[in-house]
Amino acid sequence: MEYDENGVSIVPFEFKKEIFEEARKDFRYEEYVRGCLNCGVCTGGCPPHRFFDFSPRIVLQNMKSKDPELIWTMMDEYIWACFQCFTCAMICPFLNNPGGVIAILREIAVRRGFESAKKVLKPYSRVLLKLTAYGNQLSPDMIQPDFFPDWGPHIGYASTDLPTKRKAIPMPTLQVTNLAWDVAPETMKELYDIFDEAGVFKIIESVDPSLYEIIQDIVDDVRSS
Amino acid sequence: MAENILVIGGGPAGMQSATLLADLGVNVSLVERDSYLGGNPKKFKYKFLFPDMQPADNVIGELIRKTETNSNIKIYYSSEVSDFKENGKKFDVTIKSPNGNETKTFDSVIVATGFEHFDPARDAKYSYQLFDDVIDIKDLERMFGEGNVNRPSNGQPPKNVAFILCVGSRDRHVGNQYCSRVCCTVSVKQAIELREHFPDCEVYIFYMDIRTYGFFEDLYWEAMEEHDVQIVKGRVAEITSGPNNTVICKGEDTLLRGPFEIPFDMVVLASGMEGGPQSPEMAKKLGLELDEHGFLKPQNVTLAPFKSNKKGVFLAGACTGPKAISDSITEGGAAAMDAYVYAMKNK
Ligand SMILES: Cc1cc2nc3c(=O)[nH]c(=O)nc-3n(C[C@H](O)[C@H](O)[C@H](O)COP(=O)(O)OP(=O)(O)OC[C@H]3O[C@@H](n4cnc5c(N)ncnc54)[C@H](O)[C@@H]3O)c2cc1C
Ligand code: SF4
Ligand code: SF4
Ligand code: SF4
Repeated sequence: MEYDENGVSIVPFEFKKEIFEEARKDFRYEEYVRGCLNCGVCTGGCPPHRFFDFSPRIVLQNMKSKDPELIWTMMDEYIWACFQCFTCAMICPFLNNPGGVIAILREIAVRRGFESAKKVLKPYSRVLLKLTAYGNQLSPDMIQPDFFPDWGPHIGYASTDLPTKRKAIPMPTLQVTNLAWDVAPETMKELYDIFDEAGVFKIIESVDPSLYEIIQDIVDDVRSS
Repeated sequence: MAENILVIGGGPAGMQSATLLADLGVNVSLVERDSYLGGNPKKFKYKFLFPDMQPADNVIGELIRKTETNSNIKIYYSSEVSDFKENGKKFDVTIKSPNGNETKTFDSVIVATGFEHFDPARDAKYSYQLFDDVIDIKDLERMFGEGNVNRPSNGQPPKNVAFILCVGSRDRHVGNQYCSRVCCTVSVKQAIELREHFPDCEVYIFYMDIRTYGFFEDLYWEAMEEHDVQIVKGRVAEITSGPNNTVICKGEDTLLRGPFEIPFDMVVLASGMEGGPQSPEMAKKLGLELDEHGFLKPQNVTLAPFKSNKKGVFLAGACTGPKAISDSITEGGAAAMDAYVYAMKNK
């Protein structure tokens, strides 16, 4: 890798072109990118547009420009500002799907293990681990003050004395804090088969190799049980 | 013996055809669905017309008077064509009127059944019919005609007004990909009229493209330079209710401000033109072709724009697509010529 005088890596144009071609070859591309009149309806209806310098109109225009440089500029932060709510696709008068374009670009970032994808997916490694180990997405012990600050100011209090609080819930719980519900080993095996087929394990390997190792051990254990 | 020609539709186009043919000595039967002549401009009480802001009465009133006083024209009000049969090169037509049915043989036929305004309630994002202060250009035209352009919600003069262009046009969601051609100019005209009527009222136009084609462009510049109308590039994505009985337009100013949410006292939707139910109705009754936009289809849009696919049946005005009154009148004359030639040849 080459670096400029500020130590920032220089990405060769050929590579940017390859990324663009990969997006353009996606089977959804033709359906998502049509004519665009720069009307701004998509952006006007886009929730994050109110908070960030982010615009689905720009995403679609960049795509239509076929300029690998412009598309590359979105790969780092831009595409991760989208909520994937698809309001844009619902309201575009010309039936474009900027959110869909973003999904295509994100999938490339994940498949290729780009730094941006690693950074964004980091907070979810706990969720992935929980899911692969227990078939649960969230469990009480995952409520910790340093994670998910967006859960509000009472997260600190909520995370203390979990076993007691758990018992106080007036309906049947498993009386444990590491599980929300029990999942049968057969179900777990099926889940792994789906993950295999859908390439989920490969994705985890590329964005978080150490997590992948831990998960592989768990998967092997369950599969051989 | 004089020729008999049938004109269906008594708007600007139909009236022009009828009066010209009558002046040539043709016996014209004019069938009009409504109880009055004048078409959409009369129905919605247009007061001043673009491009030169002349009183609509100069044009529409004048055509109505000429039509109504010409003894060669028999006008059937509140009527319709109930039966249509080819008879060699001629046509046997039954006209159903409040006075009963009448069947006549015509040498040729002109269809001038015009357009309908797009109903903005069909596009939920504009909240038309949900908020009293969201109206459209035909409503405003009628309000000017009736002399009251205050806010419908409370009868007060508006402090700011937004026009939103391309409502029901250039939008695949509502099924109309075409441009309605006149709504930009109508909006610019009405923006000027509002500024003149309420000098303290701010007027905004939200656009995707401004299509004041040809000389209509003069009005666009006048709106900007002489009347300080604010022209903002960006189509409004949503209209919601705001504080103090306002309506909020939410969208992206794609050139300057980025995201905006502006409360307005009144919003005017530039609804476009559609072929309406009458176009398919005519197509079915007379055996004509419809185009993919829902208007009647000329045999050749460039070479024979007034000829239908059926020999002896001619088309004029907005029934073949959105257009201004001047174009509709021009076509009324041209179709009259075609219809006359056909009638003469087959005498
Ligand atoms: C809001 C608005 C403002 C406008 N302002 C201007 C302006 O300032 N200047 C300008 O140049 N243009 C203006 N226009 C355009 C103008 O309205 C049209 O160009 C014109 O009305 C078209 O004339 P027409 O005769 O073809 O159709 P129409 O005006 O639609 O007339 C058609 C007639 O046919 C009748 N009809 C329909 N179906 C049947 C049937 N089945 N049987 C019998 N009769 C039938 C209708 O009742 C109607 O009387 C404006 C348009 C809009 C939407
Ligand atoms: S899908 Fe993304 S770009 Fe589209 S409206 Fe939602 S947040 Fe905005
Ligand atoms: S809504 Fe559609 S046409 Fe308008 S700017 Fe967005 S992508 Fe382009
Ligand atoms: S004339 Fe203007 S407002 Fe009407 S459809 Fe065309 S661009 Fe839109």
